[in-house]
Amino acid sequence: MEIIEKITTNKSIDSQTEIQKICLDKLQSSPLPNPRSEQWRLSNKSKLSNFLDYSVNENNSKFDIPYPKNSQNTIRLIIGENCQIKLIEKNYSIQQLSENKLQKYIKEQISFFNQNENWSDLLNLSLSCKNNILGLKINGSKIPPIEIFSYASSNSFNAKTLIIFLEKNCNVELLQVNLGEDTSSLSQSTFFCLEENSSLNHGVVSYGVNKSNLLNSLNVIQQKNSEYNLGSLQFKFNYARFEIRIKQSEGNAKTNIKSMQITKKDEQITTYTKIDFDGPNGFLDQINKSLADDKSHAIFEGSIIVPKIAQKTDASQLSRNLLLSNLAQIDTKPQLEIIADDVKCKHGATISQLNEEELFYMRTRGITLTEASKLQLSSYFQEIISFIPVSKDRWDLLDKLLNEN
Amino acid sequence: MVNENLVKDVVKEPYKYGFVTDIETEKIEKGLNEDIIKLISQKKEEPRFLLDFRLKAFKKWQKMKEPDWAALGYKKIDYQDIIYYSAPKQKEKISSLDEVDPKLLETFDKLGIPLTEQKKLTNVAVDAVFDSVSIATTFREELAEHGVIFCSISEAVKNHADLIEKYLGTVVPASDNYFAALNSAVFSDGSFVYIPKGVTCPMDLSSYFRINSGDSGQFERTLIIAEESSSVSYLEGCTAPMFDTNTLHAAVVELIALDDASIKYSTVQNWYAGDEEGIGGIFNFVTKRGKCLGKRSKISWSQVETGSAITWKYPSCLLLGEESVGEFYSVALTNNLQQADTGTKMIHIGPKTKSTIVSKGISAGNSKNSYRGLVKIGTKAAGSRNYSQCDSMLIGDQASANTFPYIKSQQPNSEIEHEASTCRISEDQLFYLQSRGIEFEEAVSMMVSGFCRDVFNQLPMEFAAEADKLLALKLEGSVG
Repeated sequence: MEIIEKITTNKSIDSQTEIQKICLDKLQSSPLPNPRSEQWRLSNKSKLSNFLDYSVNENNSKFDIPYPKNSQNTIRLIIGENCQIKLIEKNYSIQQLSENKLQKYIKEQISFFNQNENWSDLLNLSLSCKNNILGLKINGSKIPPIEIFSYASSNSFNAKTLIIFLEKNCNVELLQVNLGEDTSSLSQSTFFCLEENSSLNHGVVSYGVNKSNLLNSLNVIQQKNSEYNLGSLQFKFNYARFEIRIKQSEGNAKTNIKSMQITKKDEQITTYTKIDFDGPNGFLDQINKSLADDKSHAIFEGSIIVPKIAQKTDASQLSRNLLLSNLAQIDTKPQLEIIADDVKCKHGATISQLNEEELFYMRTRGITLTEASKLQLSSYFQEIISFIPVSKDRWDLLDKLLNEN
Repeated sequence: MVNENLVKDVVKEPYKYGFVTDIETEKIEKGLNEDIIKLISQKKEEPRFLLDFRLKAFKKWQKMKEPDWAALGYKKIDYQDIIYYSAPKQKEKISSLDEVDPKLLETFDKLGIPLTEQKKLTNVAVDAVFDSVSIATTFREELAEHGVIFCSISEAVKNHADLIEKYLGTVVPASDNYFAALNSAVFSDGSFVYIPKGVTCPMDLSSYFRINSGDSGQFERTLIIAEESSSVSYLEGCTAPMFDTNTLHAAVVELIALDDASIKYSTVQNWYAGDEEGIGGIFNFVTKRGKCLGKRSKISWSQVETGSAITWKYPSCLLLGEESVGEFYSVALTNNLQQADTGTKMIHIGPKTKSTIVSKGISAGNSKNSYRGLVKIGTKAAGSRNYSQCDSMLIGDQASANTFPYIKSQQPNSEIEHEASTCRISEDQLFYLQSRGIEFEEAVSMMVSGFCRDVFNQLPMEFAAEADKLLALKLEGSVG
């Protein structure tokens, strides 16, 4: 595993930043997560080592955005290419975060890190070079939609980091697209801080080609009265892991998550979520869908943590899974940890296949079995896809998925 | 917050089984090594195969580590500071109940166990285990007429060695887990039930476990075999006196159901839970597992867990036979500083197998109550179904309720449904009941009872009534 060697020997990482040094120090004693820990227990070890078996690529080759821009307004950024941003308009501004603020924020985050829980971020921050860190602060109103791209080029390991501060009272629509070329590894860590009364409609679409790997970590801190909506979709990765950690730091915030993963061949895709309610009146509505075909393995692990301070929390989590093949497998573990007594918390999980009665009904109406299955899948996908901002009116993900399934 | 205090008062009731029976006992020295195991085996005049079984388990246990994955915190257990064998001293061999130490019979009377023949009307056959040894089994003759064997496991070892050798350790192997290995090495007694082909057991069978010494552990082992087309309902009750020290209880229960057989296993566990400061109480580490070997066989676990300082218990079903059915109905109540990590495992191996899980957790005081369950559908279990429902009720703002369901499916032609919710006693509902002239305590008790109704419905009649009362008593003084 080239990456691990690089970390343990710590020789070839030149011109280290302070952040890189801190993270490397933390990783050096135990460079890999504990495979027996709850978070990593189901992760395929050979796939993880394959993910780490590339050399780090700090340069960025030319990259074509996969779909056209539909309005002149849309702001498009590619991590690694656009690092000097200064957009000051009448109503809003999008600016580069100052070096100091960026360092301070990351250091503060690292101080809370736990080796297993935040291993993906530690790895990312120890390998992500200055050019591949995009830090923004956004404020104002009537902000045009933003699209941020992150990609990994063939036969290399790419670490990209995105940090965004949403200042008070601002509303943003943001689509994040993570793309992996053939036989590549992408480590993407994202940190959002949503200040009071701000709201973010966030879409994450990740897809690769043959043998692409992805380790995607998303950390969101929500201050009071903020709203965070996430629609995410990931497919076509040999190994992918999406970690979502959301902290409602003062409570009184709203979080909606709709995520989906599709696995085929011998792929393994995991969605791991941890929602912390650190104040009262928090709200969460989460649904995760998985579809596993061929010999693939889809995993969902979600935890909701409601300490004593988080009274009047209303949280629900649903895991819906479709298992389409005899050789595929699905693991799901939605969990609740509750201490506050005046809360409404529930979760549910189902694993099944396509509904036979519905299929039969459609066939009696003259629809072929293939068409009927497509229709069922399309309604299954639609709920998630329609929640992904920006893309919904022009980038037809549904077609892309249906034609490939 | 008048209500809060009131409800808190409702859950406090002194532990009524906390007395110690002053009876002469025969104990061996503290500690655990091969010699102790040989001594236990020798005292029980066991055949060679059983001693080998024990020694093999002990060797495995020595290599194992105590599990730490459960959401439990307790001080380290010193396994060398426990007496592994303690039995009421018997001067001669007992031939009838009249010869049993009257003090012992008095104890069972206090516990309300229908041990004496006069209580025949209750129609429950009882095997009572006091500390490590089975004291008496009632109704044996009547059962024998139907070919049912119901006796202590030590007796079964002597009289039905073939059955013991064939089945012991087949459901819970000695190396299954740390506590099962410990039990396999040192188990002292327990119950044995054999229901022959085609027999419906004419009465409910029951065992009562009682720990009397403060420094001895209890390691009982239960083995139930239901042959083709037979059925049995088995009840189990547990109590212990109050001691400042923690006492270890590590039992193993194995059930085997062959074609068309059904076993219903009900438990009301009310071991001493320790005092309000968390001093004393039983550490209850139990491995219970049933194997549905035959086609259309059925194993149903129902349990009411109200006692023990620590509960670590996952009654499970291995569904091997085609169309076999596994059920788990549980109410777990924790109060003060009690901690419970309990749930079930439903492993679907055969085709068209079905399982149902209904778990109700109530946590009050500073207690911690976790549901941990596994549903696994294997590649060959086509047409299988599972339904799980886990509800938690929180009483007071210091208690915690966790749900950890592990769900794994490798068979597309199967369905798994899981749902869980957490709530508290609603003030609106309380207010409504109070406005209808129902007193506060009664209203709370009604709501808790309603919350647990799905599970109580599955309990045998006399247990259901007892469970309802037990819950009300346990909750006295803590709702709010």
